This record gives sequence, C-alpha cells and structure tokens, in this order.
Amino acid sequence: MSLIDWDEKYSVGVAAVDHEHRELIGLVNEAHDRLMRPGGEKAVMEFLGEIFARISAHFALEEQIMRARNYDHYDEHKTDHERLLDEIRDMMDDYEDGESFSEELLAQQLQAWFAGHFRSHDARLRQNLT
Amino acid sequence: MGFFSLAFLASWRFRIVLIFLEVPRYILTRVGGSFPRRSVLIETIQRAGRQAFSLIEHAFDAAFGPRINPLYHLGALSFFFFWVAAASGIYVYVFFETSIDGAYRSVEYLTHTQWYVGGVARSLHRYASDAMVISVLLHLAREFVLDRYRGVRWYAWLTGVILLWFLYASGIGGYWLVWDRLAQYIAVVTTEWFDWLPIFAEPIARNFLNSTSVNDRFFSLLVFMHIGFPLFLLLGMWIHILRISRAKTNPPRLIMIGTSLALTALSLVYPALSQGPADLDTLVSRVQPDWFYLAMYPLIDLWSPGAVWAIAGGGTLLLMLLPWLPRRREEPAAVVDLANCNGCGRCFADCPYSAVILQPRRDGLPFESQAVVEPDLCTACGICVGACPTATPFRRVSDLVPGIDMPSLTTRDMRSHILTATAALAGTDRIMVFGCRTGPDLASLREPGIATLALPCLAALPPSFIDFVISRRHADGVLFAGCIAGDCYQRLGVEWTEQRLAGQRDPYLRGRVPRERLATAWAGPAGATTLVREIAAFRARLRAMGPYRRGSTPSPAAPPSHPPEDHDVSYRLG
Repeated sequence: MSLIDWDEKYSVGVAAVDHEHRELIGLVNEAHDRLMRPGGEKAVMEFLGEIFARISAHFALEEQIMRARNYDHYDEHKTDHERLLDEIRDMMDDYEDGESFSEELLAQQLQAWFAGHFRSHDARLRQNLT
Repeated sequence: MGFFSLAFLASWRFRIVLIFLEVPRYILTRVGGSFPRRSVLIETIQRAGRQAFSLIEHAFDAAFGPRINPLYHLGALSFFFFWVAAASGIYVYVFFETSIDGAYRSVEYLTHTQWYVGGVARSLHRYASDAMVISVLLHLAREFVLDRYRGVRWYAWLTGVILLWFLYASGIGGYWLVWDRLAQYIAVVTTEWFDWLPIFAEPIARNFLNSTSVNDRFFSLLVFMHIGFPLFLLLGMWIHILRISRAKTNPPRLIMIGTSLALTALSLVYPALSQGPADLDTLVSRVQPDWFYLAMYPLIDLWSPGAVWAIAGGGTLLLMLLPWLPRRREEPAAVVDLANCNGCGRCFADCPYSAVILQPRRDGLPFESQAVVEPDLCTACGICVGACPTATPFRRVSDLVPGIDMPSLTTRDMRSHILTATAALAGTDRIMVFGCRTGPDLASLREPGIATLALPCLAALPPSFIDFVISRRHADGVLFAGCIAGDCYQRLGVEWTEQRLAGQRDPYLRGRVPRERLATAWAGPAGATTLVREIAAFRARLRAMGPYRRGSTPSPAAPPSHPPEDHDVSYRLG
C-alpha cells in the first residue's frame, strides 16, 4: 500500500519540478513500506536522510526557478521551505532520540509533512510558474 | 552570456601564450631529466616576504580591524586609484591646452590661479597615480609571497604583469604633457631609450634637439596617448579579473572615504608643482623625478639604454614565467555526479573562480541545466560542495555521493573522518574543530576533547555537517579556525561561511542549531595562540552549558519560558 499516490492536482506544470515530486513520493512510499515491515527500523533512518537530501535539492531548484521568474512571493515561499526542512529534521531527530517511537505516528507525520509541501504550491505559485 | 564567450576568448588567447611559455619548461624537462617540483629559492623568498607582510598587516589589523585593512584590498584599491586619477584627469583635461606654449601655461593656471579646484584636481591626479603604483606593486608582491600566482591563478598573474607596462606608460605619458623641465628630461631620456631599439628609421630623439623641432601637433599625439594608454590599462584590468567571479573592484566604503580624505589633504598641503618651463635650447641639469614612475630613468643615462632594456624586459619575462618556475599542480578538480544534480545552481553561484558553469541538460532527465566543471579553472577549494544541497551527512552512507564532490576529500570521507575523530572524545566540552589550508595549524591541537579536520576551505563544509555533529551529539560544540576575516585565501570562503551560518546565503545552517555551540576564529596562519585561547574560552562556555538537549534553544516562535520537556509539541504535525 502506498502512503501517497501521485495526483495530477500535484502538478506544478514545470517538468523538472513535477519529476522531482514523483521521485519524492516514490521515496516516501518506499520509506513507509520499510517502516511497516518488521525489522525495518534501521533502514528508516537512512531513508529519512535520503528524503531530507532530496527535498533540500528540490527546494533549491524550486527557489532558483522562482527567482529566475521573479516570483513575487519568493520570501514567503523560501521561509516555508526552511520550515519544512526543519520539520523533516525534527522527525529524524525524534526517530533517532525517541524511546517511545511509533511507526504509525511517523507515517502520519510524513504524510502530513508532504501534503504541507503541496499546500505551499498554491494556485498563485502554479500560475506564476506556468 | 556575452561575459562567458569573452572569458573563453581570453582564455583561448592566453593558451597560445601558455604554449610558448611551456617551451622552456619542456626543454628543461628533456635536458635536465625531471623539472624540479619545488624551488627552495622561491620558497625562502616567500617565507621572508610573508613574515614582512604579516608584521605590517598586524599593525594595520590593530589600527583598523581586519575587515577594513587596506592591505587585504590592494587590488580593489588599485581600481579605486584608477578612478580617482581618471576623474581628476578629466577635469584637468578641460583646461589643458594642447600646444607647446599653452601646455605649461594652462597647467600653471590650474595650479596657482584655480588652486582650490584645478590645483587640487592636478594634485589628486598625480597622487592617485603614485598611490596606484604602490598598491599595484604591493598587490603583486603579496600575491607572490602568499603563493596565489601559480596553478589556476596563472592567468591573473600573467595579465597583471603585462598591465605594469600600461600603468607605467600611462603615468610617464602624463608627466610629459606638463612640458616643464621634468617633461623635457623625460622626453630626451625616453627617446634615447627607444632609439636604442632598432625600430625607428631615424632617431626620434632628433625631435627634441631644439625648440623649433617640436610642434603643436606633437602635443595632440601625446594627449591621445595619455588617454589611450589608460583606456588600454582599464581594458587590461577588466581582462585581469575575468576569470574570477565577483571580483572586488571596490574597496570597502570606509577605505574609500579614508583614502580620498588622505589624498585630498595631501593635495592641499603639498600641491603638485611644475619644475619650470621646458626649454629645448638649454640642457636640463637638475630635475626631481617622481620615483614611483621614473625610478629607472637615471639608469638609462648612468648605464646605457640597453642595460635598462635588459632589466625591464628581462624582469618582465621572469615575472611572466614565475607561475611555471615551478608550476603548481592543483588537487584534482571538482566532479559532478549527474544522478545527484538537478541544476539548482548553488555551486555555480558560490564558486570564486567561475570554474562551475550551468549548461543545458544532456542526460535526458527533465531538468533544464546541469553543473559542469572547467578543470583548468578549479583550485579544488571545495566551496561548491559546501553549497550543494545533496552533500549532507544525514544521507545513507552507501548513497552518499553529492551532486558535486572533491576527489581529494569526498563528502563521504568528511563524514567518516568526523565519526572516527569524535568517537574518542569524552566530557561535556568536546569540540570538533574545522580548519582550512591557510588558517592556523591544527596539528598543534593535540589535546583530549578536541577533534580536528583540515579542509581546503571552511566554506567546503556543507552547513548540515554542523547540524549533524551537534544534533547527533558527536561533539558539544563546533569551532571554525580559518583565514583572517578580510583576507580569505579562496577569496570568498569567509564571506560565504558567515552568510550561511547567519541564514543569509544558501544552504542555510538550520535555524534550530544552537548558535552558542558554534564559534569562529578567523585567526590566519599566524594565529595559533589566538586559536588556543579561543578554544579554551569556548570549551569553558560549553561546560557551563551542559550537554546538548534538543529544544534547549527555543525557536523565535516559541516563548522562551517553554519547558524543555514539551519541546516537540510545537512543531509536530497531525
């Protein structure tokens, strides 16, 4: 079972950004699969690290595109990116430090976190990028 | 894109020069077996020079602070002096008369009648030109003793040496225009010097035998040359900085203000004066030459024009050859891994040497661009790796290949080195010290509780490594020991590092990393004592703080009184 399914409504209309979104969804789903499998806890940390690296690169690219197109809400969006990076790092630290860790909670957090990123791609950004 | 095509044009041209310069090296290799890798003589001169410079630099550091120390801005200062000379020169030119009788008279009018503007402009013109000679020669000497002239930097060195000729031609031409006794001396000696070369059918010195042989048109030619040479100089200065990105052509504002005030004060107290009208029918016996420009002139008479040609020409040739005597081999250039590169451009934005460029994507992935490294321009400083979002130690080790990496110290190596070095540390004042090639020597820090890693440049460390060291509790604090703040060996390393730590430049150091667990010591190579002191103070602070606890520094959104136990409630989703 996938945690997140690609939906056309996620499309931003920029091939590179959409491509990375698909890849990220794949990675999140893979992490989720491992998490749900018994004994997968060790691999999860590494998956989270990969997701963190990918999303960092993804945001870097989005920011470059936004700057290149003089997107007028750049600063807001950049702040949002930094907040989302903070959140995934917190999930990683929670997982690393947490004694009472629950798989369901992490899955829930990941899903919410990812949805949060898409919410940040509101109609305004989509219009600006296409 | 025009900038790049011109950069390539320039590099292509100079590659031809390079081929010629390679000839002696090739011959030496063939004849003498292997060409020496090091020159003891050059290294001795450099060491002595570094000591001399560091004495003066420390005095200036103490007086002005390292960020506005003029010795760290000699190149930019030279640009500034050029502009002062250009602006004052334009003003003087408005009143200058291009005729034998008018030239001297008009300059005298400026100096004496219109002393409050014209006189000041004339003096500024002279003193800024003199100051430019000083700043240029110091710039040259300093880049030499700091070993910033070889390897990838040969281009700036070679173009800079050629520029010396344009600088001197510009300055000497200016003295000629005043048409006083000094100008007459310069006219006679210069022509004598050039007549030694077998290029003129009849001696040009004949033009200055008596007053009837010089005409007004000759002055038009001189003015034309005195505008032409500085323009070529400016063009050359632009070519000189083509290969570096974000070249600093303006010194810090305080330096500009201070220097302008000093030059103006000098102009008012000691105005530049002419040395009596030229008279070709009498011989000049006594002049006071401007030693900044005319140091070689007495030698032309004293020895012979040929000897001075040998000194000037031979000296220039030797300076031009220096980067290859011997040549420095840089560490292997940065390498791009396309599977990890989405063309975000951060490495391109941060490279101090324009060695990383963005080109259209070629591997079929739907990205617009990809990073490409020009190995000939890469000094292996690693600043691109520090900028790469995929260079993070949190990734799984098996996949830890960033979009751009340094073969001499890969991101994976950095990670494993940090883990090994910090594993043995104990206590609540464990620190991880990151150093750079030209910062204080880390080898002396053999103390328990300290782990070290020397990087080619501090900006080669991706900021998430700091987060990694502290949040994973590999150490209690991180200390950066680098170059002098105003004088980064890799040009932009200090600036980029500070901006990344402050969250002003990508990639930001995560806001939640407690900044009190971070210290910087911009101490420079001679700063070992400072470093030891800083480390002791930092470790004392860390001991007082106790071990790192998450949430011990609340983010600005959370109230400071937030109990640490609840730290994770504020950001949990769902």
